[in-house]
Amino acid sequence: MSVGRAAVTRGVLLRLREQIDFIKRGKELLKMRRDHLASETNKLLGKLRARNELDRRLMAAYETLKTAYITLGYSRLQSEASTVGLLEAKIRPRSVMGVLVPEILLGKKSNVTSVTSASAYAAAEKLSGSMEQLLEIAEAEGRIECIAHELMMTNRKVNAVERVLIPKLLELIRYIEGRLEEETLEEFFRAKRVKAAIRGAE
Amino acid sequence: MKPAAIMYLVTRTHGLKTHLISPRDIQLLVKAKSLREVSDNLLKAEYGTEISKLPTREVDALTLEEIFLKILVDRFFFITREAQGKLQDLLTRYCGRFEVENIKRVIRAKHGGETIEERNLLPLSREHTIVNLPALIKAKDVEDAISLLRETPYRPLVERLETYRRAGTTMVLEAALDDIYFDKVWEITGKISNGNGVKDLVGEEIDLRNLLIALSLKIRDLPPTLIAEALISSSYKLTVGRLRTLAQARLEDAPDILRGTPYSGLGSEVVNLVKERSASPLERLFLNRLYEDASASLKTRFLDAGYVVAYLLLSECEAKNLVTITTGKQLGLGEEEILQGLLGFQTRA
Repeated sequence: MSVGRAAVTRGVLLRLREQIDFIKRGKELLKMRRDHLASETNKLLGKLRARNELDRRLMAAYETLKTAYITLGYSRLQSEASTVGLLEAKIRPRSVMGVLVPEILLGKKSNVTSVTSASAYAAAEKLSGSMEQLLEIAEAEGRIECIAHELMMTNRKVNAVERVLIPKLLELIRYIEGRLEEETLEEFFRAKRVKAAIRGAE
Repeated sequence: MKPAAIMYLVTRTHGLKTHLISPRDIQLLVKAKSLREVSDNLLKAEYGTEISKLPTREVDALTLEEIFLKILVDRFFFITREAQGKLQDLLTRYCGRFEVENIKRVIRAKHGGETIEERNLLPLSREHTIVNLPALIKAKDVEDAISLLRETPYRPLVERLETYRRAGTTMVLEAALDDIYFDKVWEITGKISNGNGVKDLVGEEIDLRNLLIALSLKIRDLPPTLIAEALISSSYKLTVGRLRTLAQARLEDAPDILRGTPYSGLGSEVVNLVKERSASPLERLFLNRLYEDASASLKTRFLDAGYVVAYLLLSECEAKNLVTITTGKQLGLGEEEILQGLLGFQTRA
């Protein structure tokens, strides 16, 4: 906002004062949003701590799968795997303080009861058991990604409002107030001089 | 005096047994640096003809597995062709395990709504199966596939369809298939003259299979009634009554239940293994026991029809071990891990 271009009138000053009130309220809202997003991120970070445990579970499951592969061979294991019903999951967007984040809704879990071979069953059970946690962590990671981006944007907006927009508006208000005061004094002085001139002429 | 036909077959099998890969060569295969080296070493064995047809780039565990299974099926049917009389009937029924496995694969695929092709099945030529496998493959679902088996010895599967619908698991149908298969084999085993060796091996296979079914389903916490339904109705030295007791008892009581049977030695190992809540080591334990006993039979029953069955079991064991080695090499497993995965190897080595 260029200070020099603003019209120096009382109307502009009133509008600017209203504007600054509005911007300050907006800044508070942005700050609230930022805090809410930050607390949401903190909550999600708690969920991500389970990632190490999931990694361990998955590694154990892959080891069991390797054992199943070498015990049964590719064709038999593939056949056993074909009986496992697919896991059903829906992903839908959910709004957290106006940020669209993914929400994973787990539908039908994979059914491993038809797996007859003991080694294939062990692998299927471990892998399908990890799926729920895997989806939970994937959801948390996806949310964090969206929220972190929005958090960064909100932070920038707050900074811009706090450090650039508000100071400039205040400066503009101060300038207009000063000019208006000067104009008032000038007017007052001019009126006085006019009054004195009229008296002298009489 | 044994019948001449049996003596001929046993003598023929003695010759065929020399084609099996020795434990020393198996160890060399395990030590091979790559899958390519394994396939090169196998060129000298019975698998050489098939492997040499492969272009160098196409050597992978899956292709080699197909070759191992083809040779295994060929070995089974070759010996069956050479047999005569009741022994041929027995071996024909014994070879039914490939057909049963193929039906299981089709049922599994139909249950999961997956497409299945002939290359996903064991390589069984039309003359070796009474089931129309191409038609089964084209069936639209499990019920359609089972209805195609109505006029075959697998007819009892039709009666299990209702249970399958209720339980929603193919386990019911697979158990029925195993039951039909072992029932057919067991029925004729008793009719073989001087067939104690055959009876011992087939009976042991049934018993160990039943023991594995009972324990693995128990580990899965399935109700005793369902476990009892999944058991093979034939039995040898482990009565179905004892197995039902096992299904109802705690896993820790397994050694007491197995006491007095030839499998009492397995009891303590079973208890240790079930602590892991996985039936996978049990599967290995029982298969090891079966193949090791088959291996021992080659030394004790060298003039008995049991020698033929032992040879077939060891052929199966060899195919499984080769699959373990090639798959292990492809997956980048170490020597020690592959060695642990081998079956019936410890005593023979």
